[in-house]
Order: sequence, then structure tokens, then C-alpha cells
Amino acid sequence: MTPFDGLAPQVADDTRLRQIVAASADGLIVVDEDGRVRFLNAAATTILGRSADELMDQIFGYPVLGGERAEIDLLHPDGQHGVGEMRVVDTEWEGAPAQLVSLRDITEHRRVNQALRDAEAFNWAILNSLNVHLAVLDARGTIIAVNNPWIEFARANGDPDLQRTGVGVNYFTICEHAHGYWANEANDVLEGMRAVLEGRLPIYELEYPCHSPHEERWFVMRVVPLRGQRTGLVVSHTNVTVQRQMARAASEAAMLRERLEALERELVDVERMSQQEQVVPRRVSAIPLRQRNPSTFGEAVAIYHELLDVALMRQRGIPDAAPESGLRNLGDYLGIQAATPRDVVEIHLAGVRSAGTGAPPIKQQAYLEEGRLMVLELMGYLAGHYRGRALGRMGELDDGSTEPA
Amino acid sequence: MDKIVLHLFIAGRTVRAERAIATLRRICEHELANYECELKIVDVLAEPQQAEVRKILATPTLIKEMPPPVRRIIGDLGGDPRELLAALNLPPNP
Repeated sequence: MTPFDGLAPQVADDTRLRQIVAASADGLIVVDEDGRVRFLNAAATTILGRSADELMDQIFGYPVLGGERAEIDLLHPDGQHGVGEMRVVDTEWEGAPAQLVSLRDITEHRRVNQALRDAEAFNWAILNSLNVHLAVLDARGTIIAVNNPWIEFARANGDPDLQRTGVGVNYFTICEHAHGYWANEANDVLEGMRAVLEGRLPIYELEYPCHSPHEERWFVMRVVPLRGQRTGLVVSHTNVTVQRQMARAASEAAMLRERLEALERELVDVERMSQQEQVVPRRVSAIPLRQRNPSTFGEAVAIYHELLDVALMRQRGIPDAAPESGLRNLGDYLGIQAATPRDVVEIHLAGVRSAGTGAPPIKQQAYLEEGRLMVLELMGYLAGHYRGRALGRMGELDDGSTEPA
Repeated sequence: MDKIVLHLFIAGRTVRAERAIATLRRICEHELANYECELKIVDVLAEPQQAEVRKILATPTLIKEMPPPVRRIIGDLGGDPRELLAALNLPPNP
């Protein structure tokens, strides 16, 4: 490419104009009505990647733009491509109508913008991959961004058009106007959000139920300040139903374990008494009932399953549904089989599993809750059975007068 | 008037290219509906030699091959279709 001083000979006498045009970072091209290059500056040769000799008097093209500016793809002779921004004004050249085309190379600008868009898309991909519903609020409580899980949850839970939870909605106003069951909680949430916004609290958390017609659900709402230059809040809702169920199961297991240990202690006492008084003819077996007598174990599980159904019927208010006498009989039956509290727990677990198989989640939960009470009651009857035998009151047991422990 | 032959040079199926194609198709179907109009799209990424032979400096570039005289337009080809037709030296529908 030969050096180009930026001006055609025709205007060489206008030194001032020549300097301005030559120094311009924008490419300037004058084309006549045929689109032929009549003049161009040094920047234009750089942007087009060709020498002035190659371009002068060549057809560039007559510019036609829909608006003030248009983007065009620049084709360099080496095969490289760029992006140019083109503007056009009517002018005159040597007494004839012409077009003054200004060209700006925006390739780098476009590349940076694309990189920013890619980075933003990547960040959003991360946020959308989280199993957390996220919203960003500005300092006035207006939702300015939400992730996809937030949108999907809103759509699936009574706000299909995001009228109450979408971008542009004021979260504070929604809380202020909450009524009914949620009114008090919404006030707490509002106060919590304001406290975090004003720096009085580092984080606000609330665990709340959000049950659907078909499943029990629990969520934790967390509000933290938006880190960065802008003031605002990040609100997240996380489904903690599984964690909560696991915590409840762990708590129930601990309670059962404690109760089991108490009953075992009681059985040891009963056994000791029986040895002294020779009332109970054999030791309570150390081998689980499930192993030493599988058919009896299976029968006990089936009875327990039936009693769970009776308990559920009572819960639904069906008259005459009472599992107590059945439980007492089962306790006696297990006592005769020399069952231990561990056997009772195994029967309970197998019975709940058997009853819950194929049942909807809410019914499974009901079996668990009823079973938790029933297993303790059954243990009580078993302990009562042994106690009665140890105390030589078998006759009372037979006529059903024994009370649970 | 003889057949109208238009060659549109684009660099890949970018948004700009798609807009220019749509604009030209619309003009062929409306403003030039009474003429036989052939529109050929040349993607210089797929046919770089075409850009070299025709000395295409930037895209979109539209060349009216027929009827003579040959005219070359550069830009997004947007705006009033009558301006584009005037730049191409093409009369609208009689």
C-alpha cells in the first residue's frame, strides 16, 4: 500500500481543510452519483485495507441507508473481515452532486460488546442453572432481574404472566398489600428487607410453607445486600422440603431410639424378675423375629398395615375406626412370640413402607405421622404384656384389661 | 423493460444480511412486481473469489447487472424503496 497524504490534488490548495481531513480518525470518502470514489482520506484507506491508488476512481458503491447510520461488513484483501459504521451526507464535488461517506471501524467495539454479551450470558447461565429462585431488587424494592427458576416457579404457582413477581413489579408494595393468611408474615418480610437494605441486618431469613395441592413444600427465603456499585437486594427462595423432611425423620428416629432404649431397660428388668420368679418360660430372643420366624413377622407387618389404615380412617373422622384393640392384640401376639422392641420397630418400618408404596406423598406423610404414634403404643402394649406375665397377671391380660405402658 | 438482474453480496447470514435480503425480496414482489426480476444472493464467505473478481469492498453491496447501466449500491438498503429504485435507475411499476 503506498502512502497517502489524505487529499486529492483538487483541494490541495486548501491547507487547513487538508489538515483536518487528513487527521480525522474516521474514514472520509466522496463518491459521485455512480458510486465512484472521487476523494478519500488516509483513515479510509486503512479502514478499507487498500491503498489510495487502488481505491481512487474505483466504484465503491452509491450509499443507500435506512437511517442516519448503517453497519456494513468490511472485506479486506487478506480475507480478514471487520465491521464498519457508515454515515452519509449529501455534498457537492467539483460542481456535481456527490455523497460524503464517513466510515468508522467498529470491529473492536463490536468484539468487546460481544465479549461482554458472552460474559453476561455465561453469568446468567450460571444463575439459571441454580436450583434457587433469584430476584434482584433495586433500592426502592423494584424487581430489576430474575433468573429462570424464579420465572418457572411463578408461572407454575398462580402468576403465569409474572404480574406479581416479574421484572418491574415492586416487591415492597406487594408485601405492603398482602392480606389474609400471609399479611403478618409479609410485614415481617418487608421489615427484614428494609433492615438488610439499610445495613441493620446482614441477612434476613424466613422458612415458610408453600404447599401445593399434591405435595408438602417448604422454602427458605434469604435476603442479602446486592454487592457492587448499585444499592439493592438479592432475594432468593430455596426449596428445603427434602432437608426439612430429613431433619424431621432424624428427629423422629432419635425419639424412637430413646423410647426403644427405655423399653429395653424395662424389658431387662422384666426378664430379671421372670428369672427370679420363673414366670416367663423363656428368654426374650436375641435373634430378630424377622429371621427366626419370617411368617410370623410377615403376618405382624400385614396386621400393622391394616391398623395404619384404620388409624387413617379415624383421622378422616370415620366413626368406629379405632386401632387400639387391634394394637393390644398385636402386642400380646408379639409378646407370646418373645418379640423385642427392635422387632416392633422393624414391623413398624416394614408396615409403613408397605402401606406407603404407591400412595400419593400426602398419604405417605399421613402413614408416617400415624405410625409414629402407633409404634409407641404397640411398644407399650408389648411391655405391658411382659410386665403382666412377670407379675403373674396372665389372666388379666387374657381378658384385655392391661393398659399400655 | 428487459429482465432485471440483481446480485446481492453478503458476508454470512448476519442480521444485516437477512434484512437486506428481506428488503430486496419485498421490493421485487411489490415495487417491481410487473417486471421479471432475478435476485441472486452471493455469500462472499462461501465464494470469496466472487468478492475479489467484482472488487467488493464491503457488504451488503447490491449490483444491478441488468438492465444497463450497471449500478452498485452499498449500505443496509433500508428506508424508502423508491429511493433505492432511483439509485438503481429502475422505474417502479408502470
